[in-house]
Amino acid sequence: MDPICPLALLSAGTEATIAEVRAGKEMRFRLAGMGLCPGARVRAQCVDRGSLIVSVGDARYALSRGIAMKILVGEPEAA
Amino acid sequence: MTGIRIALTGNPNVGKTTLFNALTGSRQHVGNWPGVTVEKKTGRIDWNGHAIDVIDLPGTYSLTAYSADEVVARDYIIDENPDVVVQVVDATNLERNLYLTTQLAELGVPVVIALNMADAAEAGGYAIDREKLSALLAIPVVRTVGTRGEGLDGLLDAAIREAETSPHHEHTVGYGNDAEAMIASIVDVLSADKDLTKRYPLRWLAVRLLEGDENALAKIRDSPAFTGVQALLSGIDPDEYEAAMADRRYEMIAAVLPQVRTAGAGGMNVSEMVDRVVTDRYLGIPIFLALMWGAFELTFAVAAPFVALIEAGLAWLSATVAGSIEPGWLASLVGDGIIGGVGAVLVFVPNIFILFLILSFLDDTGYLARAAFIMDRLMYAIGLPGKAFIPMLIGFGCNVPGIMAARTIEGEKDRLITILVNPFISCSARLPVYILFAGAFFGAGAGGVVFLLYILGIAAAIGSAKLFRHTILPGESSPFIMEMPPYRLPTAWTSLLHMWSRGAMYVRKAGTIILVGALVVWCLASLPFGVDYGSSASLAGALGHLLEPLVAPLGFDWKIAVALLFGFVAKEVVVGSLGVLYGTGEGGDALSMALLADPGLSAATALALMIFVLLYTPCLATIATIRKETGSWRWAGFSVAYGLVLAWLLALIVGHIASLFLGGA
Amino acid sequence: MSNVIKGVFGAVLGVLYGGLGMLQIVSAVTYLALPFVPASFFGGFVLLVIGAVLLTGARKFAQGLDEGVVFVNVGILLSVAFGAVTLLAAGAGALEAVIAEEAWSIADAITPAVYLAVIGAAGFLAWCRTFFRGLVAA
Repeated sequence: MDPICPLALLSAGTEATIAEVRAGKEMRFRLAGMGLCPGARVRAQCVDRGSLIVSVGDARYALSRGIAMKILVGEPEAA
Repeated sequence: MTGIRIALTGNPNVGKTTLFNALTGSRQHVGNWPGVTVEKKTGRIDWNGHAIDVIDLPGTYSLTAYSADEVVARDYIIDENPDVVVQVVDATNLERNLYLTTQLAELGVPVVIALNMADAAEAGGYAIDREKLSALLAIPVVRTVGTRGEGLDGLLDAAIREAETSPHHEHTVGYGNDAEAMIASIVDVLSADKDLTKRYPLRWLAVRLLEGDENALAKIRDSPAFTGVQALLSGIDPDEYEAAMADRRYEMIAAVLPQVRTAGAGGMNVSEMVDRVVTDRYLGIPIFLALMWGAFELTFAVAAPFVALIEAGLAWLSATVAGSIEPGWLASLVGDGIIGGVGAVLVFVPNIFILFLILSFLDDTGYLARAAFIMDRLMYAIGLPGKAFIPMLIGFGCNVPGIMAARTIEGEKDRLITILVNPFISCSARLPVYILFAGAFFGAGAGGVVFLLYILGIAAAIGSAKLFRHTILPGESSPFIMEMPPYRLPTAWTSLLHMWSRGAMYVRKAGTIILVGALVVWCLASLPFGVDYGSSASLAGALGHLLEPLVAPLGFDWKIAVALLFGFVAKEVVVGSLGVLYGTGEGGDALSMALLADPGLSAATALALMIFVLLYTPCLATIATIRKETGSWRWAGFSVAYGLVLAWLLALIVGHIASLFLGGA
Repeated sequence: MSNVIKGVFGAVLGVLYGGLGMLQIVSAVTYLALPFVPASFFGGFVLLVIGAVLLTGARKFAQGLDEGVVFVNVGILLSVAFGAVTLLAAGAGALEAVIAEEAWSIADAITPAVYLAVIGAAGFLAWCRTFFRGLVAA
């Protein structure tokens, strides 16, 4: 899937699939352990100026803008 | 009786610690893992003729091991060969939890799954077919509810059975033809090294190498197989494999899930909805501030009667001691030294415990994770991650637990900065000093002055954090990722237990250090024999005179120098010392009058003194904690020196400016 | 229908919290002495926050947004929580007064945070028990 936009730009209540994680190896391993890896379906729940709370499967994470800009997702769609 | 070692592992927030407590009860030993400030908890159980040691490993999402917690967890499992690994799995969050399971299985260690929070999953409408799950993963699955101690017997039985079964069945993820071919050739090369073969499961090592794990590469650096592996890996892009392999693991999990779990009605997720409100763009911070105010209000209000009781008890005790012990110097040692010094700390115990209880409660409900999210942007401006606000918050009660709370911060530099600025957060021990001086010299404006001192402390912390970030500890604050666990109503028992483990640590640490400090102060104030306690002729007095030139620019005389010196032990000791030096005792009004009557003291000097007390060297217990948490005397020494310089400069500047307006000095 | 009642309930309770919160702050700044509304800057601030959450809920109801119910529910929860906190603190104050042999009167415990929480508690019993049941899970 082609990366369309950073996760940080999703609006609340939309869903998308992670296409690419543009971070260092260390961060990618860590994110994969949390379920945030390419192919994962994420939903943005609360969005506040780039920081957001996303849900992946049954887990929910808060991400700061810095890291949310490095996770690229495919076409967002309303959940 | 045979001995069995069980390692308890699992993701963060799955109830692992609660399960550990339920398993081991009071037979726990808390220490540190060597070399790192990660807590190591072990416990012993006797079960059906087996002596079982349970080791609680730090929570981790994966075994890729980059944070200190993950390294500890992984190295223990690989290098220490526990007889069986029990993975605590959150039944409401199977997908992510099973990711760790796939990695454990790859390691080839015997694994038992404790399907924890099973009650919550059932309440949420999830029915999980444990037998099916167990069959699909080839791992025993036991239902547990840690908070109520359910399923512990079954868990222990399964763990023992698994530990004694050999050979152990292996069940790993298939990574597809391409990757599997690579793995096979790497294993082939590695198997030439017999030493390596003995120490590590080769398939696991090959998988890690293919994913480009630096840690795994370091493990084989000295092996004769190293060049062979390097040649194999040189032709490929490990990033590509890494993404594909993570994907495969989740695919395997995705294939398992629908077979074992029937989703309930689902519907609205309450946690999600509540988060809409408490992380609201406008209301989030006000709600947070309101809750924090409530926490402190409750802390001080509820602690007050206990403090009154302890004070009354101490007063009775020192009166009794003074009247019944001979000779006089011994009565003085016990009364002034031990009871006075240790009592000064004892008085804060109710505050500390109640504050811990409330914070544990908020933590256990899941709210503190939200608060960290809300605070992240504000803290980012200072150059620290959102989590760093929790140590600061606790610092208002006492800096010792505040500094200990910095352990949860991942980045090493972030953690150091959080620790180093914590002493500037005005702890409750400084309040008696403010009350005495602000009350004596500022009358109706006292409340405002005290408030401004708190603000000054926060400003000093923020300013110092920015300064450190730009000078000695440069860099970005680490990116913020934090799990938002579902809201839960903790049981009173879990919150009390958390309070106890944090609070007891404080009492032990503060108690022993303060006792030693109090004895040193008493010796200084009483020697040489025959002098009046703390008088000009005592060693302390001599030290005061020696230090006087240093503090003279601030308008302080030798008595204040002595009081400040004694304040090293604990800052509220400043008040008691002045009481002794002015010969009035601690009785508030008499001391206030004596201070007002001293021609050497003006409102401006009083202000300078309060600022000095706010900022100078944290107390002994805090210094010892900084030493322990940073692992070096260097940082503790730096903290002392930096605090002294900052206190001296600010007291000088503010004192002189204030004297222009208030007169005197 | 029940949404209309909840919206109105949120609006009324929100206005009460906001108003009394204002009064507490004003009397803290001006040394005004009002019966049953003790001067307290931060106490007033807390009431204002609870009022704001409730009024936000009411506003969302008026706009026809489902989210409104969540804000009203959380507002009610905060109302009950702070009522309990204030009562506990007052109880501890009474205990301290007994130990120190000082004067204490029941009037000290009657503050807006307490008597407004009675209304909040009624709302809690009426609507929120099922809502928050999902949270009570461990």
